[in-house]
Amino acid sequence: MRQVLTGKERIMKALDLAEPDRVPVFEMGINEASIVNLGKHFTDDVPPVKHITDMDLEEQIRYMDLLSLILKELGNDGISTVFIIRKERVGEDLARDKYGTTYHLSEAGEPVPVEGPVQGVGDIAKLAFEPDPGDYAMLQYLVQTMGRDVAHFFAIPDLFRLSWQLRGGMDKLLLDYMRDEELVFALARVTTDFCKAALKMARGHGADVIILEGDLAFNTSTLMSPDQYRKFIKPYHQELISFCHEQGMKAVKHSDGNLWPILDDLVEVGFDGIHPIQPQCMDIKEVKGHLKGRAAVVGNIDCSFLLPFGTVEEVDQAVRETIRIAAPGGGYIISSSNSIHPGCKPENYIAMVKAARRYGAYPINL
Amino acid sequence: MNERMTSLGETLLAGDVEAIKRLTEEALSAGTTPQAILEKGLRPAMESLGERFSRGEAFLPELLVAAETMKASMEVMQPAIVRGGVAPKATMLLGTVEGDIHDIGKNLVKMMFEGAGFKVIDLDINVKAARFLEAYHKERPDLVGLSSLLTTTIGEMEKVIQTIREFDPEAKFIVGGAPVTQAFADRIGANGYAPDAGKAVKVGNRIIGRS
Repeated sequence: MRQVLTGKERIMKALDLAEPDRVPVFEMGINEASIVNLGKHFTDDVPPVKHITDMDLEEQIRYMDLLSLILKELGNDGISTVFIIRKERVGEDLARDKYGTTYHLSEAGEPVPVEGPVQGVGDIAKLAFEPDPGDYAMLQYLVQTMGRDVAHFFAIPDLFRLSWQLRGGMDKLLLDYMRDEELVFALARVTTDFCKAALKMARGHGADVIILEGDLAFNTSTLMSPDQYRKFIKPYHQELISFCHEQGMKAVKHSDGNLWPILDDLVEVGFDGIHPIQPQCMDIKEVKGHLKGRAAVVGNIDCSFLLPFGTVEEVDQAVRETIRIAAPGGGYIISSSNSIHPGCKPENYIAMVKAARRYGAYPINL
Repeated sequence: MNERMTSLGETLLAGDVEAIKRLTEEALSAGTTPQAILEKGLRPAMESLGERFSRGEAFLPELLVAAETMKASMEVMQPAIVRGGVAPKATMLLGTVEGDIHDIGKNLVKMMFEGAGFKVIDLDINVKAARFLEAYHKERPDLVGLSSLLTTTIGEMEKVIQTIREFDPEAKFIVGGAPVTQAFADRIGANGYAPDAGKAVKVGNRIIGRS
């Protein structure tokens, strides 16, 4: 009989590429509408749906209390928090953050940057681009309500994402890759410094794992060429991950899409885990075989079709199959293939977590 | 002529905006028609780039640079196109469906179709089914392209298809975007699905029966 571990120990053991007592359960993001919909399964006291950056403090606390309740009821081993950065409305569907990026807001997904404060390399010196200690309320609150027996992941946009946010669009930065390398490097420097300061503060507030978010790939390949990744991002990733490890935290890379062209590079820079291994883009068996003994695999339960449109039985079978493939030998943390967005049926997510318990006990005999 | 066309294609791929403006002006001055510039110079280059993109040998920065460069050439040709009354190969209505505000994929598809000689009417992002229908009424396009990046919005594609088909049961649709699959495209009654911008033109041509 294996010793029963805490959620945090379970996560850390998986990120150390070992077998814990059972497959750890984690979720990178549960969006506001999903919190409300899931919450209804556990309490009658749920708030109206609202975007967290539009909430006042009291409303934010109500949401975070409900999220804590859900995670405790489900018994998740790792939880993820983010910066809460208030944005000022500057138009019907537009809002600007404190760093000067204007976003197009959407009810269906994340805000999309449409205008940034950096038009040329000269603008970088004018930027006041530092993490704000006041933006860690979610991490601080969840550390209090959830305690230290769960692993606290803190999600920080990585340098690629921060760079294109400052430029006001990913297409602008990708054009810079071809037209203005000086600007690309200057942005990489200032955003890497931001990330280092941000993760150090997160550690101070109780984070155990940093999840560097920001997609580097789409369905069929990487957004940039592997050579461009190696030139414009990889050295900064290396610096960031070393710094993260020095601070005593693990680092997980989140990116949608097909990461195969740069997967070895991500391992080489020292990421402890790769999330979320979208089943439409990468085969979990191949990824597990490739990463075994080098980096943990995090994710893979399809949130594009299975969790939104599948049945509870189909979810159960998918979890069983994924655990059978990815869990033996350790180094696997189960989660959805991105996040629990409003399209996911709450009963399917609950079924996913229950199935992870049912099939995830080590040694895996499925 | 052939040398000039090759040079236009190479310049497009190199992303040299100033050079392509100059070469386009020179070609027009030498009596080359915009149609010839498009079909013999720009289109082959775009097609080869699209194929390399689909094979994973070219990446978004190269596509974006080519798009910017092609736009510059098209702007130079615009007065001649208007004067000459050059008929497009076909007309396409394009947009990202309601609720979705992503446009990079849609813009790349637009560029590839324009490069292939289509007139593309871009309705932009967050386009309601009613607006697609209104534009369909007005433009009577040969093809409608629907884009979506979010799982939460792909249901809108079916709504657009149903709305337009009530008006024209023969309307043709191509769909694409991160959450879209061939199975989903079949389910909602789309005529075709392209996994990336590079393959979209080939699928679009097949749908409308052009080469």
